[in-house]
Amino acid sequence: MKKVLIPFIMVMVLAIIPYAGITFGKLDYLFGVIIPYASVAILLLGFLYKLVDWLRRPVPFRIPTTCGQEKSLDWIKDNPLESPSNPFMAAVRVLSEVLLFRSLFRNTKAELHGGSKLAYGSHKWLWLGGLAFHWSLLIIVIRHARFFFDTLPAPIELIEAFDRFLDVTVPALYITDGIALAAVTFLVVRRIQDEKVRLISLATDYFPLFLIGTIAILGVSMRYVTKVDVMPIKALALGLASFSLDAPSPIGALFYVHLFLVCVLLCYIPFSKLMHMGGIFLSPTRNLPNDSRAKRHVNPWNPDIKFRTYAEYEDDYREKMKKAGIPVEKQ
Amino acid sequence: MNKLRQTLVAIVAGIAVFAAAWFFVHAGHGGVTPARAAAESAPVKSAVTKAIPIDSTKCVAPAEYMRANHMRVLDKWRFDSVRSGARTFVTPDGRHFDKSLKTCLGCHAQNPMFCFMCHQYANVKPTCWNCHLSPMETQK
Repeated sequence: MKKVLIPFIMVMVLAIIPYAGITFGKLDYLFGVIIPYASVAILLLGFLYKLVDWLRRPVPFRIPTTCGQEKSLDWIKDNPLESPSNPFMAAVRVLSEVLLFRSLFRNTKAELHGGSKLAYGSHKWLWLGGLAFHWSLLIIVIRHARFFFDTLPAPIELIEAFDRFLDVTVPALYITDGIALAAVTFLVVRRIQDEKVRLISLATDYFPLFLIGTIAILGVSMRYVTKVDVMPIKALALGLASFSLDAPSPIGALFYVHLFLVCVLLCYIPFSKLMHMGGIFLSPTRNLPNDSRAKRHVNPWNPDIKFRTYAEYEDDYREKMKKAGIPVEKQ
Repeated sequence: MNKLRQTLVAIVAGIAVFAAAWFFVHAGHGGVTPARAAAESAPVKSAVTKAIPIDSTKCVAPAEYMRANHMRVLDKWRFDSVRSGARTFVTPDGRHFDKSLKTCLGCHAQNPMFCFMCHQYANVKPTCWNCHLSPMETQK
């Protein structure tokens, strides 16, 4: 239970910091300008550092994980997607993983039936919940562009229009708001409810879920329930997007809690499991084509060993070998 | 047993989703339950035609509140006047207003860009002008 409570308390403490800072300390400038810039800088540099670090790691051999027949003889039917033989299909496989979570689609659940019989069954809920969570988060992030752009680019406007096409409530309900909240709830409940998943879950699994959940709840609350004046927020966002250092006009403390937790999330990304965002593209078990048998891959840092052939050996010792009566190849 | 539990979980999840949807649908209406049209007892027409003193020096609510909540006020006014026929809004300090977009535009249409300046700036597209004539169109 400590694994759940500690991250929860951490998020609550992190939420109280800007609330107290804005309400009692008038630290608008710190939380509205300095921390956002700093966190974006940490995110970019940290992300870059991690990616460069990973890109510098040598991957001399092809080590893809496959679950299909590799390309071999003509009369053996291969599975180009599950065992890609060229870079293009490998890229398709990575993208299908990134966009559709194909490996989670194969997720199974092990359960004891009647107390003694172990049974495995298809279990798509994690796939569905994860997909809903990631996609709605992506759309929510894209939608926030309306704060950072003077005029919204047409594709973003289109996404926004689709997101609120139900046209219920004022302001219009965004579908992804509901989906994201439902999905994050499911992902937390999933970790707590099943004892096997609970056992392998760590504080670092709960922390981002609680963090993102709190950010989403605050955002939803500001839009639909507690309400904020959006004009100073837009001014602040436009300022941040144009690297201005102007002090923001007064905005509610709730907004600063939302913003600060987003900043915490940005800082947290490069140093945590959330780097799977970049790592999925660099994972050598996924992004390499399975062509070990078609092509010879030589380890590029093999040392340049000086071999001594038998012929050279015989040249050195021929006379002695002859005297000892050992047969030689060259007289 | 397990099937039963799954079914129960599914039902609870369904109720939760329904409750959440209900909450969101009603969040904008300030918790007002849809009342039967009270038109039979309360003559709507007279309420509309009745001259309501409009004190144009002060808004229906403080500017601070209106900046964040004007869309809720308008939505509630629409709901009240269209669904319940209750067309008179009484402010906490006792002033009466007609629940109509005209009440707002009576003062705020002085500047035909009054609505648009902020909405364009914040990339917000209200649905008011789907039906109503906007100040941009009326003040030629």
